[in-house]
Formats: sequence, C-alpha cells, structure tokens
Amino acid sequence: MPTANTIFPIHGPVDLLTRLDSPDPETKLKALREIKNQIIGNRTKKLSFLKLGAVPAVASILSSYATQSDSQLVDADVSTSSIIVQSAAVLGSFACGFDAGVRAVLDAGAFPHLIRLLSNLDEKVVDASARSLRMIYQSRLAPKYEFVQEKNMEFLISLINSECENVTGLGASIITHSCQTSTEQRALCDAGILKKLVSLLEGSLSQKNATLESMAAVFKKNPEVISKFVGLENERAVESSLSQRDSSLESPGTVIKNNTESVFKFVGPESGSALSSIIELTKDRYARTRLLACMCLVVIRNASPNYLQDMGNQSQIINYIPKRLQGVLLALADLCSKLESCRLTFLSLKVLNQVIDALTHDCADVRTSACICLRSITRSIKNLCAGNFMDEMLVIPLIRLLDDPSVSVQVAALGVISNIVVDFTTRKSTFIQCGGVKQLVQLTKSMHSTLRFNALWALKNMMFLADDRCKEGIFLELTGSLLASLMSDPEPCVQEQALALVRNLVDGCIKSIEYVFAEDGTLLDAVGRQLHNVSDEVGIQGMYLLGNVASGNELHKEAVLQQLLAQADNGAQSFVIKFLQSSDSRLRTAAVWVIVNLTFPSCPGAFGRLVQLKNAGIISQIRNMVNDSCLDVKLRVRTVITQSMTFGDGLT
Amino acid sequence: MMSLFWIVIRQLEEIEAMAASKKVITREEWERKLNDVKIRKEDMNRLVMNFLVTEGYVDAAEKFQMESGTDPGIDLATITDRMAVKKAVQCGNVEDAIEKVNDLNPEILDTNPQLFFHLQQQRFIELIRNGKVEEALEFAQEELAPRGEENQSFLEELERTVALLAFEDVSNCPVGGLLDISQRLKTASEVNAAILTSQSREKDPKLPNLLKMLLWAQNQLDERAAYPRIKDLSTAMLEDPAI
Repeated sequence: MPTANTIFPIHGPVDLLTRLDSPDPETKLKALREIKNQIIGNRTKKLSFLKLGAVPAVASILSSYATQSDSQLVDADVSTSSIIVQSAAVLGSFACGFDAGVRAVLDAGAFPHLIRLLSNLDEKVVDASARSLRMIYQSRLAPKYEFVQEKNMEFLISLINSECENVTGLGASIITHSCQTSTEQRALCDAGILKKLVSLLEGSLSQKNATLESMAAVFKKNPEVISKFVGLENERAVESSLSQRDSSLESPGTVIKNNTESVFKFVGPESGSALSSIIELTKDRYARTRLLACMCLVVIRNASPNYLQDMGNQSQIINYIPKRLQGVLLALADLCSKLESCRLTFLSLKVLNQVIDALTHDCADVRTSACICLRSITRSIKNLCAGNFMDEMLVIPLIRLLDDPSVSVQVAALGVISNIVVDFTTRKSTFIQCGGVKQLVQLTKSMHSTLRFNALWALKNMMFLADDRCKEGIFLELTGSLLASLMSDPEPCVQEQALALVRNLVDGCIKSIEYVFAEDGTLLDAVGRQLHNVSDEVGIQGMYLLGNVASGNELHKEAVLQQLLAQADNGAQSFVIKFLQSSDSRLRTAAVWVIVNLTFPSCPGAFGRLVQLKNAGIISQIRNMVNDSCLDVKLRVRTVITQSMTFGDGLT
Repeated sequence: MMSLFWIVIRQLEEIEAMAASKKVITREEWERKLNDVKIRKEDMNRLVMNFLVTEGYVDAAEKFQMESGTDPGIDLATITDRMAVKKAVQCGNVEDAIEKVNDLNPEILDTNPQLFFHLQQQRFIELIRNGKVEEALEFAQEELAPRGEENQSFLEELERTVALLAFEDVSNCPVGGLLDISQRLKTASEVNAAILTSQSREKDPKLPNLLKMLLWAQNQLDERAAYPRIKDLSTAMLEDPAI
C-alpha cells in the first residue's frame, strides 16, 4: 500500500517559501496548502516557518489576491479565491494559540485585509477570513476594535447578524476582547446587541461559548447594563402574561390571583428568558460551556447581587448560585492543578480576587472549593519564588478559615497555607505577623487527626529553608514537648509529619541542630524511642532527621550514635540494621546517610565511632550492601567503605 | 428520546408496586400496555436519522430524508467529507486524512494536540508497517519527539511507539499491538469524534444507548416478573414468558 509520503513529497521550509514566490498560481496554491498542513497542530514547525519569514510572505499574497478579488467584483476566478482561502488558513494557524504568530500576522499588516475580506462575495473566503480573525482575537495581542464609532458599530452588528457561524463567533470574540469600559458596554447595549447575543446562545457549540464570553464582558461590573438586559426580558414576560389575560374570559384580578404561579413562571428562571438560557447552559453537556455559563452568572451576581436575590425569591436560584460557584471553582482547581500555563493564565486574568472573595462565602462548600482552587494555583513555583502569594489579602482570610466551624474548610485552608508558606523569599514573617503560626500550632492539638496532620504539614513547609528567626519563632510556639508527643501520635501519618518538621528544623546551620538538644534532649530521645517501631515512611523522615543532626559537631554526632546503639526495651535488633535491611530503597538510602555523616574521616571522633558501629554489627551489614540494587544506596555504601578504609585495615 | 426510557422505568415501578412475588404478565396484557405508550413517529424518525448521520451513512440518510421528510440537521456533504477522512485513516493514508481534516476545518488539529499526536503516531506506525525504517526514524525525530517536548503527557505513549524501531520482527514484539488494525480503527474513530464535536454534534448515535437501556431495564424486570421479553435485538420479537 503506498503511503501518503510517496504521493505528496514533503518539501523543506526554504523550498516551500521559494514556491510561494512562483508566478504560477497553481504552484503558489500547492505551496500554501503544504505550509498549512505542516504547521497545523505543530508548534515547532510554526516557529521554524516564522523565523524564515513565512508570515509576511503569505500576508502579501493575501493582500494582493484580495485586491485582485475586489477588482473582479463578481465571479472571482476559482484559483484566486482558493489562494485567499489557503493563505487565510495559514495565517490563522500561525495565530492559533501562539502569541509570536499573532504578533507576526499583525506586524505583516494582514489584519485589515482579513477584515475587508469579510465582505467578499465568496462564502468560503468569508468563512476562512473570519476563522483566522477569530484565532487572532483569542490572543491578548489582538487590536482593540473601536466599535463606539458609529460605522464600526454597524459593522459589528452586521457580523453578529451573519448567517456564517465563524463570522458571528468572530463578532462575539471582538466584543469579548474590546469591550472594556462602561461606555463601551452601554454602547453595545443601546445598539441592541444583547438581544442578538441571546439568540446565539441557541447556536452551535463554538457560538455558544463565544457568546457566553462576550456576554460576561458586556455585563462585567455594570449593573446598569444588566438591569437593562433583565428589564427587557421582564417587559416581554409581562407582555405575554398580559396577552394571556386578555384572551381570558375571567376578570383580570382573578387571573392574577389564580395564576400567580404562571406569572412567576414568566419572570422566573423557567420563563425562557435570557437569564434562564444562561442558567440552562450551566447544565450543558460540554464542560467548557458549563464553565463559561457559570462565569457569566458569577459576573452578573458580582455586579448586581440584589437583582439575583430578587430572582432568588423564587427559591432555586439562591441554592443554585453557590452550587454553580462551587462548580466553577472546582473546575478552575482542576485546570490549574497540573499545568503551570493554566495557573499563569488564571493569574493574568485577574480573577484571583474573586476567588479570595469566595473564601468568606456563606456556604461552607464554596469556601472549601475556593481553598481547593487556590491550592492548585499556589502550586506555581514561579510565583512562589517571587513571593507573590505572601500577600495579606490572601493570608488573612486564610488564617481566619483555620477557625472555621467546618473541618473540611479547615483542612482545605491548610492545603493552601501549606503551599504559600513554601515561600522562598524572606516574607515568611508576613504569615507569622498575621498570627498564622499560633493558629497552626493550635490545630496540631486538634482531636481530628486530619487537622493535626495538615497543620503539621503546613508547619513543616514553613520550616523548609526558613531563616533562623523564623525557625526560632515557630519552635518557641510549638515547644519541644509538644513535638515529642506528636512524634508518638497514634496516627503514623502525623508521626511522619512531626519528624519531617524537625528534619527541616535541624537542616542548615549548626545552631539549628541545637533545637533537638533543648529541654535536656527530650526531642532527640523521643526520635530514638519512636524509631524502634515504625512504618517505612516514618522511618525515612526519622533517619533523615538523624542524618541532619549527625552533620553537626562532635557532640551532635556522639548523641546520634548513642541513639543508634540504644537497644529497644525488649532487646530486639537495632533499628538501623532493620532499616538497612528494609525492602524500601528510600529507607536504606536514608539510613546509610546517617552512617556516612557519623564516619566522616576528618572529624576527630570518627575512628572511635567507626569501632562502635563495627561492634554493633552495623558496618558488616553495610559491607553486605556493596551491590545494592538501588544506585543511590550503592553509592553511599561505597562512601562509608572508603571512609572506613582511611583508618587502615586494622578495622576490617 | 429519554422519554422512551422513562416509560419503561415507570412500568417497572408499577409492576414492582403490584407484585411482591414474581408476577406473570401475559402477552396480551403486555401488548396492551405497549399500545398505551404513545411514541411520535417523528421522534422515531429523528432517532433513525441521528443514527444514519452520526455513523456516516450518507446515501441512506439522503433517501430517508426524502421518504420521511426528516431534517438531518446538518449539511449532508460534510458527512461525505467526514467519512472520507475516517476511511483514509482506516486504510493507513494518514497524511491524506490530515490534509482532509485541515481542509474541512483547520481549527480541529490546531486546538486538539492529543488527536494531532495520535495521527502523527499512526503515521509513524504506517511507516514501520511498510518497512520504511529509515523514514520512520527521521519522522520520529522530526515530528514525534517535539510533540513529547511540547506535552509531557505524550511521553509514555511516545516511548512505547518509538520502541517499534528497536525490534526486527515488529509483529511479534511487546508493542506489536500498535500494528493491529484495531489501532487504526481507534485513531479513525477519534478523528471522527473530533469532527463531529466541531460540528456541534454528539459523537455517538443515540440508538445504541437506548438499546443498552432496554437491556438494562429487561434485566431489572427479570428479577420481578415473567413477561414477553425481547431476546434477539435484531428482530425485536417478543418471546412468550417461560411459566
């Protein structure tokens, strides 16, 4: 079977660009198609064609053929319109999801030509141009369309009224992008655009989505426009209920009395009004449509809460909005949970404040969802590094939520706090000053183990790479005895977090290590005691903790050694040997690290410690591990052996 | 279409209310009940048209439109285009299929990286199938590798696919399943679904779902009653209850 490749040879970018210059329309057309097929969906190819200057070349073809098409008026020759269609498609693809491409298309001056082509007689040309313009209007870089000027408004209305799906979609996108001021919102409203937009909500998937976005832009922070929009609908409703009354034989009064329900129905969400079509779309089968419909309702609610409350008198909507808001927040959380690009888009959209507002919402589920959403967003390392989240605007409401009556809200708030306190700048103090640490410490004493666990998690992250003052502040609040008791918490996950917290506490300078020796070394003893009987996860944290302490001075090293050599109460095997024999390579790695730090040869006491470790059978266990299946373990084991060799063969 | 289903459920509830033990419903009684259910002819026709359009039976849809006056709700020519794309993938002419999709609507592949990746993957598989190893290698470097860089989630699938290069006897290697015709069909149906979505149509016809619901409802009913059930869906004959 022949592959497509043998039929259509792939030409290199340079070759294709030469073909674009060909005077033969047939060659030109083929080259355009081939470029289109190479770049669609392919960012890498877009970039390489862009660098070679393909965009201006295609734009100039578009403009010259557009002019030609204008002058031919009717019956433009087939190849002319095909060339226009293909070059518009190429430009559209360059502009699709690719800002550098949008800029190139705009710089090449293709924009006015594409706009002009919207009035072309050939439907295909119109469709292709509209599609490309729509791509451009998805970017922030698209030029603002000054529709306040009368002539432009007429043009915009003609777009919205078009039969062609891409053209109406373009009209909506232009509104979304260019409607920014309240004057502009009012102008659109006065021009009767809203009525038309409402009808587009019945259209295709892409029309619905584009329309919902544009409506949100027209409504945003403009109660006046919203009330006009709604007023218009109510007028219609009253009209129809009046006409119903006219046709009735009963007296008007009775009808109203008997028909309260049906009158309500007309002004209520089921009335077939515009608002109800938006609400209806929150149940659409496409997730994006649901999200956009929710966004639109949120915009309406934020601008005119009163109005929606009036509507809410008819029961459902009051419950409806929190449910939807919750849906939006969770959808955003989902979008931002893994992809940094989504987080950056979110932050650039400036909706963070709206999510922060939701932290104080009356409904606990909304508060929880807002926290979950923020947790996804605050995963952005880029912004954490810049310290962008350590803002009182965000921190204060979050700290308040630690007192929330609902445990799930508290847990969700702890999730966000855990992220934002991994602040790499020196702004962790903001959190302390706002009273956050006190609250977190309180929660480590909660009777709910999930709260203890999450609060410790947050404190652990706070401790991560913290400066001395910050560490001291947290430790004073926590106290050694509380930490010791948390290490022996009935829940293993709490133990693990407590040990991990201390591990971060003693990481860094010698001075930090002293913390485990405070209160007569209760903390270090607690660690040692705890390690005799723990799960792998807890063991890993414990061993890294000991490893960090063992990186300190002679006194520190000796103390760790004593913990390792201490027998369990029942005289069972030493925990180090058990860990070294564990099937979990992470635990083996952590355990060998402690030995590496204890036997570091340039320390005066190293030889003595080595002898004691040998007598305890630990060194021979390590020798058995030279061919460990885990590379990391193998490497550390070899370090221990090399270090022990420096003391000569007497040991072996 | 859902109303059909709710009728069955309602019957089910009715029967449940009536009978604590297993009730026997005679054919006569059952047929009387069925006759009570009013289903509009137009609804049935729309169901059929929905099936023909979604599955791409253009000629049948055209004839059915003429005979029944049912509006297909879509320009039938676009079905021909969609079926041509699907067929191209099924025959292994992936590049041809890509060009056809791009002619139909350049937005589809530009905004659907997963689909684009799967088509590129299929192109690679076809090169391997045709023994064009060198071309395949070049294609993997030029086209597939950048997709993995652009989108981490493709990496695993990418590795599995490129592993085809490592084996001499590709049909008997651990990733040989990629060469199955089923892989082509999978890719073809993904393209088909994407085109349908771009035309604001559901990607699956409603009829199979209704049949699934029928089977489910019959199973539920079996536990409570003996009744004339439909065993063979192709004939839809009612079979007398075993007493």
